[in-house]
Parts: sequence; structure tokens; C-alpha cells
Amino acid sequence: MMRELTFSEAINEALYQALELSDQVIVIGQLVNFKPAVFGTTSGLVQKFGPKRVHDFPVSESLMTSTGLGAALAGMRPVLVHHRMDFMLYSLDAIANWLSLWRFKANGQSSAPVTIRAVVGKGWGQGPQHSKSLHGWFAHLPGIRVAVPATPHDAKGLLLESIFGEDPCIIVENRSLFSMKGVVPENPYRVPFGRSVVRRTGRDLTIAAIGMMVPLAIRAANEAAMESIDVEVLDMRTVAPLDIAGVIASVEKTGRLIVADPSWQRVNVGSEIVSGVVEKIALRLRASPLRISLPQSHAPMSAALEEQYYPSEKRFLENIRAVMSPKI
Amino acid sequence: MNHQTFSAQPPPTRIDFCKLDRLLLLELYRHMMRLRRVEEALIREYRVGEGIRCPVHFAIGQEAVPAALSPLLKLEDYLFCHHRSHGYFLSKRAPLNQLIAELFGRATGANGGLAGSQEISCPSVNFHSGAVLTGAASIAVGSALAFQLKGSSQVAVAGFGEAASEEGIFWEAINYAGVKKLPLVYLCENNIYSMYSHQLSRQASDNLHERVKTFGVQTHALYGNDVVAAYLAIKEAVERARRGEGAFFLEFYTYRWSAHVGPESDDHVGYRDSKELDFWKERCPIQLMKRNLENAKLLDVETERKMISEIDQEISEAIQFARSSAYPTEFLSKNSAPSNPLAEKLLPLSEFEKFDAYQADAVLGPY
Repeated sequence: MMRELTFSEAINEALYQALELSDQVIVIGQLVNFKPAVFGTTSGLVQKFGPKRVHDFPVSESLMTSTGLGAALAGMRPVLVHHRMDFMLYSLDAIANWLSLWRFKANGQSSAPVTIRAVVGKGWGQGPQHSKSLHGWFAHLPGIRVAVPATPHDAKGLLLESIFGEDPCIIVENRSLFSMKGVVPENPYRVPFGRSVVRRTGRDLTIAAIGMMVPLAIRAANEAAMESIDVEVLDMRTVAPLDIAGVIASVEKTGRLIVADPSWQRVNVGSEIVSGVVEKIALRLRASPLRISLPQSHAPMSAALEEQYYPSEKRFLENIRAVMSPKI
Repeated sequence: MNHQTFSAQPPPTRIDFCKLDRLLLLELYRHMMRLRRVEEALIREYRVGEGIRCPVHFAIGQEAVPAALSPLLKLEDYLFCHHRSHGYFLSKRAPLNQLIAELFGRATGANGGLAGSQEISCPSVNFHSGAVLTGAASIAVGSALAFQLKGSSQVAVAGFGEAASEEGIFWEAINYAGVKKLPLVYLCENNIYSMYSHQLSRQASDNLHERVKTFGVQTHALYGNDVVAAYLAIKEAVERARRGEGAFFLEFYTYRWSAHVGPESDDHVGYRDSKELDFWKERCPIQLMKRNLENAKLLDVETERKMISEIDQEISEAIQFARSSAYPTEFLSKNSAPSNPLAEKLLPLSEFEKFDAYQADAVLGPY
């Protein structure tokens, strides 16, 4: 029986092991050294590694990112933590004008290994300023790696890969996954960027899912199996780089594609996946691809509306049936 | 003191050498002269053939601060600056050949022709610049924090203009530098104008140092065209930072003779009075130092002639080097690291890819 951890425990273990593996690693963010510990993800770190390496930061998110960059140039491997991605937006200048192009403008002679953890809220009335998942914005930038882990295993492996990799990385962590349990190897390990993984094999239809859409897709696939529809579920794991080749390989087999991206539909990563597949193998498709995304609307607070806002298993099933219907 | 009251005074004529060594005084003078002649040579080259094809913000009139800084920095210190970068590039003793080849967009440039004048860097000597305001002031905070965590005696220095203080992140940086007592030295070259806009139309007062002081950062304001005074002020700030006594903000009252950008004058815009420009040309940092060196019998005609001849020779060779260098051919690979050696060394790849069915049933939420 392999050891299991929750998603937040897996992040916590990755940070603990990274701090242990190298003196260069520091963890910076508001309240990372307080007991709630960013939903448990930074628990015990300050006690073990001290306030120099694990420290609180003023309410200056913009400066926090620049500080991470400057510290990285001086040999550190900073991990910056945001309770909500919405606050991280103060630092768009630091990310887009400095961090993403730092290596480029130095002709490859200077690295900025900064890891930014951004938690995205979902449910319990988070509303429009606590729930934005802007992984697509950041994936648009050259020079930045963006991960959207869907399992405790990947939350740990992608975080470690980010910390000890050479490029700046943004890890988008959906809060709704934090209590999810899964098998997590005890030793430190890496999950590489740009490599999707098949979570469920199937012959009839491919669902390429991102982040918190993955468990929904699996559950819907299990339902669809009762209707004799055999769904393959791909977890994209990272959106920059994006493993289009992995999706193509699956669609070559199934001939049908649904993309599930937990962000607004307009100009999202889902659009990019559909384009990438259609550009290469449009003639192999047996049905038009479909996208499952969030409505083109800010997130409503009321629980009644949240239910409409976030895709359900039912909606997945309807889309699965639509793609399988011979009308298209 | 503020810029206005300072500018109302008659031009300072006397520099107090404070018993500084002759060689050091000549080095300060030479740095200013070299920077001036580099800028003048680049202005001559600007619209010639396939020479410089990038925005250049010339530093004529503002030579004193980069010159004063240069002897005080060690290789392991970090220097960040704004888009008016050439003086600081030379402060860090980065190679002139690489500066000019970079402006010419050649593969031999400091950044292989990818950055140009306003974003040039020389990572091997820990020099970085950038065009977007306040990058220097804010990124330097992180390097200073790293030096403090490591317990090293390195300092981070950032050079910028007064307009940088109009960005919110500037005050975030000042606040944090004060809280943490970072080994950080800020050099604010207050040249009054943000492009064409006067400081007093953008800020209620032109005494930035007084505002910065309230954040717990040490400050000092001084005439920015006296290279010796600038040297002594920066020296004290750097030494205090090295000793762990906290961040220091220096405000230098100076003036740019050049246009905001490019080799031609931008005075046709009508943003400054020609009398104002003449006023500041009378306060040339190089002429001021020259007269004082001559009066003190530390500089003779022959020494100066030789100095200028060497500088011009070096510049001419650097331009020739740039002209004869090849253009770069590739840029895509520069966006991301080709490999991740540390991750490869420390971490095995996970062999575990399974997703247990019941994980899919994990309850989502509550938030």
C-alpha cells in the first residue's frame, strides 16, 4: 500500500523537501509563517527552517515578484506564495516585463528561477475577486512555464521541478482540490513540464482536461461507460509548455475531442488545444471538437448561481453524448 | 534642499577634493570624459548606414554619478539601472566593445543584439538595465535580500530618475528596504524631466529624499554634477550598506543636455527654456572637474591630451569591432532554458503516473 497525502499536504512536503535539499530555496508570501499556513501548505516550515528562509511579506505583491527575481539573480531559488491569484495581479509588470523576458534579453546568459504559487478559489461564494484562474494569460507569455496540477502527486512533482528548474514558473493551484487524497511517493521527485498523462484509457472519445476539470472528466467518463461510450481522459498537467502532441496521439485513436479548461471560454487554453489538433489532423476527426469552459462571465457569489457557473458532471455527459451523436 | 532652491544658486566653482588620491581623482575625471566621448561618438554614428537601429537615451550632462560609482563597486556587487544605461554599464567595467556591438545589433554585443541600449545587461559583471520604470529599484531589493540572507558583504545598487518615484512599486521597495535594513543603495538622478514633463507638474515637491526618509531609509541630497561630492556620498552609503546599517537613498540634482531619446535635440517640443539648458551647460560636470584639477595642478595639458587620445582610440576600435561583427541569426532558443541541470541532479523522474479511480470522487471544496 503506497502512502497517501492530500493535495495540500503534498505541496507542503514538496516545500519541506526543497528547503531541505538546498539552502538556496526560500519561501516568501503573506502569512506563510502563521498557523493557517496558506491552507496547510506551509505548515511547519518556519519552525524547521527559520524566519530567514520562510518569511512573511508586506502587502506588496508587485514588489514581492521583483524581489523574487532579484533574489534569484543572486543565487536563491525563491518560492512566492499568493493565497489568491487575484492579488498576484498587482505584479503583472514584474511578470510580463521582467521575469518572462529576463533570460531572453540577457541572450540566455542569465536565469530567473522563480516559482510563483497562485491559489484559485472555487465555491463558498468566492466571487469575482477570489476565483480567477488566469493560467491562459500567463501561458500566452514566452519564457514562463505554467502548471495546473490536478493530483497530489503532480502538485508535489511539478512544484519541485519548478523550484529546481531554470525558468520562472507559475503553479496554479485550485483550492477545491486541496482535500483530494492520492498516492504520493515519499522521496522528492520531478514531474516534467509539457508532458500530459492519460488518466483513463478509452477508444471512442478524448477529453483533454486541465486542473480541477480532470476529476470531473473521470467521473463523467465512468458514467459514460454505462452507456457503452469509452472515454479516454488526458490530464494536461501543464499549459505552458502545452502537450499538443499528447492530445493528437489520443485523438488519432479516438477521432473525437472534448477540451475541458477551468477558465472563461474566450481565448482560453482550450481554444489553443482545439486549434493545435485541427491544424494537424482535422481530417481524422469524426466529429467537431467541443469545449467545456466557464461561462463568459465573472464568478457569481450566490451558491445558487455558482452551481450554474461551474461545469457539472451532467454537463460533461451531455457534451460526451453530443460529440458521440452521428448528427455532427 | 530641493532642485529649485539649488538651481537658484550661482554655479558652484570649487570642488573640495577632501585629500583624495590624485589617481582616483583622475580616474573619476577619465570616466566622465570617456562616457561623454562615447555618447558623442554614438550620436555621430547614429544615422549612419547599418549602424545603430534602436532607441538610445544619451546621458550627456549626467556623467558624474556613474563615474563616481565606478571605483566603489566590486565585481560581486549588483548594479541595476534605468534605460539611460551607458554610464552604468561602464561603471561596472563591462567591455565597451560589447556595449557598442549591442547597439549595432550584432552577435558580439553584450546580449547578442537581443536587448539594445535600453535593456542592456552584462550578467558576468552583475550589471542589468531595463526600460520599464522602476524595475531597477524593485529588483535590486531582491538581490539585497539575498545578500542579507547569505550574510555576505555584497551590496545592490540601483540607479534611476525622479520619475521612478511616481510608480507605486517604488514606495513598496522603499518601505521594504526600510523594514529590512537591506544592503541597498539607491542613486536617484533627479534631472527634473520625465521626457518633457517637469517634476513639479507631476509631484507636489521636488525633494524626494525628504519623503523617502520617513520610510526609515537613510537619505542625502546633493549637487549631482560634482563628481567628488558624489563619490564621497556614494562611498559612505555603500560602506554603511556593507556594514549592515541599512539602505541608503541618494538624490542627485542634475540635468540632461541630450534629448530624452535619440541623437537629435527635442527642444522643438518647447518643454524647456533654452536659458535653462545654457544654465546647466555652465554647470558641466566635466568642465567643473577639469578646472579644479588644473587649479590644483593635478592635470596638465599633456596628460589630458593623452587621456583623450587613448579614449578616442578605444572608441574607434570598438565601433570598428561592431561594424565588422556578424549579425545574430537565431532568437527562439533564448526564451527558455535548454536544460534543467539542478532538477536533473537532485530529483529522479516520477515513475508513478496512476490516478486512482476514487481520487475522482474526492469531494471538491468547500473553497
